[in-house]
Amino acid sequence: MSMSLINIGQSGATAARSALEVTAQNIANSQTEGYVRRRLGQTELAGAGAVGEFSGATFNGVRTGGIYRPDVPLLNAEARRSAGSLSQADAELSALSSAETTLEQSGLYGALVEFEASFAQLQSDPLNPSLRANALAEGESLANTFQLASSGLKQGGDFVRLDAQNSVNEVNRLAGELASVNVAFTRSEAGTASHAVLLDQRDKLLGDLSEQVGVTADISPSGVANVRLGDASGPMLVNGTSAAALSSTTNGDGTLSFDLDGSAVTLSSGKLAGQASALTAQAGLLSDLDAVAASTIGALNTAQSSGSAADGSAGQPFFSGSGAGDITVSLTDGSGIATAPSGAPAGSLDTSNLAALRNALANGGPASQADSMLFELSSTVRSRSVTRDALATIAQSAQSSLAGATGVDLDQEAANLIRFQQSFQASGRIIQVANDIFDTILGIR
Amino acid sequence: MIAAQNSTSSFYQNSLDQMTRLRNSAERLQTQVATGEKLARGSDDPVASSRLRALAREDRMAAIDETNANAASTGLQSASTALEDMTDLLIRARELAVQAGSDTTGPDGREAIATEIDELRASLLGLANMQDASGRPLFGGQSAAPAFVEGAGGVISYVGSATTDTVEIGLGVSVERGVTGPNVVNFSNDGAATDAFAFLASFAADIRGAAADPAAAARDALSGFDASIDTASRTQTVLGARLAWIDTVQFGAIARDETRAEEQSELGDTDLAEAITQLQQTLTVLEASQASFARLTNLSLFDSI
Repeated sequence: MSMSLINIGQSGATAARSALEVTAQNIANSQTEGYVRRRLGQTELAGAGAVGEFSGATFNGVRTGGIYRPDVPLLNAEARRSAGSLSQADAELSALSSAETTLEQSGLYGALVEFEASFAQLQSDPLNPSLRANALAEGESLANTFQLASSGLKQGGDFVRLDAQNSVNEVNRLAGELASVNVAFTRSEAGTASHAVLLDQRDKLLGDLSEQVGVTADISPSGVANVRLGDASGPMLVNGTSAAALSSTTNGDGTLSFDLDGSAVTLSSGKLAGQASALTAQAGLLSDLDAVAASTIGALNTAQSSGSAADGSAGQPFFSGSGAGDITVSLTDGSGIATAPSGAPAGSLDTSNLAALRNALANGGPASQADSMLFELSSTVRSRSVTRDALATIAQSAQSSLAGATGVDLDQEAANLIRFQQSFQASGRIIQVANDIFDTILGIR
Repeated sequence: MIAAQNSTSSFYQNSLDQMTRLRNSAERLQTQVATGEKLARGSDDPVASSRLRALAREDRMAAIDETNANAASTGLQSASTALEDMTDLLIRARELAVQAGSDTTGPDGREAIATEIDELRASLLGLANMQDASGRPLFGGQSAAPAFVEGAGGVISYVGSATTDTVEIGLGVSVERGVTGPNVVNFSNDGAATDAFAFLASFAADIRGAAADPAAAARDALSGFDASIDTASRTQTVLGARLAWIDTVQFGAIARDETRAEEQSELGDTDLAEAITQLQQTLTVLEASQASFARLTNLSLFDSI
């Protein structure tokens, strides 16, 4: 009887010590990324082993069960989904903002206005060589601005593509690691500390993965995660212990297309999807910019060809090139600007063709095209940043509920420390009581 | 049980997020106050930015229009001055004609008058070929070469273009930059078209003796002189009207400049009172959050163990 009391006391002390260890582990890992707090499972031990008067009440103390780890699949999935949407919006917004900065800082609109202004100024004195030289210089600075904006946009695209390549590598690395974690699940037993570590690793890998690319995870009871790209009908990225390889190809216009083990896939969310759509937008901007440059070149050269230069010769093309990337001024001297109408004598002050040159730039010409291009871009950036802010709030609250459900609460751990310490002391007291009882029986004479 | 938990790391994360948001908004307001510009980039307000671009373009074009209007005004004023001198000159010629028409003036006197008329004619040619500040003829229309040339036998003819060029002085309003030579010197003498140069030449020849009665010829010529003076002063009136028109347009341009500046300021400038009040409010909230964060982080059960 007193032997049983000692056993009960001992099992209680063991259980309390194990619980203290778990609490200490929680406190130590309170700042560890991806750590989910642990609890010690405990079950009562009682049996009907003894033969005697009290056969119905045989107690054997407590048994420490497995390591219990709160599992919140819904919160996890929601946190992953919202983080994926957020990083998609972030990637797209940052690429679009940098394109906006490039275009605004290039001063394209200002250069077009200055070019037009130099023609307007020429009207007061069309044969003035310094005004003509000024118009030519403004044309050159406009051409430089176009080239600057074009190369800036292309460079921005290069950065995004480099970043996307890193993301693709990251996805493949994460998928590979997830496959190895899946292998480890087959060799671990639920309820052990090492199993809990594997679960932490799996959730962290899934979280990291969904920031790069939108995925849906199907978790089996043993803990193995099968991952599909996109929604539940998407292609398998991680199937049990094998991972498929994601790769990206750069198209001619700078946009990206992706394939998984050779078959084309469309990515729905995550950083990669954001980068892909930013690149599509960037390709659109480049072609818009080229269109503005082409219309400047076309309108100016057409107007030039219908006039005559200061020396009475037929007007030669002002610009050469076909787009923003290769536009250059082909006139070599300001006297070549065809201010006078075709057939006018040398040294004519007639400015009717100068008016045609001005009209080529004004009223719905390149300046207003550039304006509407900038307007569309900045509106897009504006609406994307509103969306991004909303997604950030959603992602933060999802992350916060997940952390609330799985993270370590230091106050609670402090309370647990005291609780389990008291429980340990009480169990020690039980052993002492058993000892006293034994001594009492021995002392009977 | 699970939901009641409040994870320590999520508390720190949330506090950090909130304070970061407040800091960002304080920084944005500070930039607005420091730069005086409400819009740092187009996406801050796409519509206002586009409008500001259009306004900046109008500003630039209005500045050019003003320069052009000033240049046109200077040109017209020079033309007007030259015309005034030409009128004076023709009046002097008419006085001489009156003198030549007097029977008391003898052949020697008329010869002297004819010589002066020749000189006046040469001066008239000089005035008619006057150039403006940038070296273009005042009365040559669209030609950069001198408007009148003296050919064989002293015949002076107009070689400029038939029309003058126009210059835009704002809002699509254009003004003719000058008048052509024929507008200044051509007139009709008793139904016959002539010009001041030819008239003066034939008058000088008449009083030198080409006419049977030089004195009567001089008297007859008076109506021709009147017609030529009329033409010159009529043209001067036209120039005066154009100058007044330029002034009117420029006056309107100043009013438009002011409206534009007002709109620009409304769209793009920081409202200092509003921005500073908001900044103060944000900073107060930020300080309060920081203080309460510090108090909350001091609350730990570990202090009581």
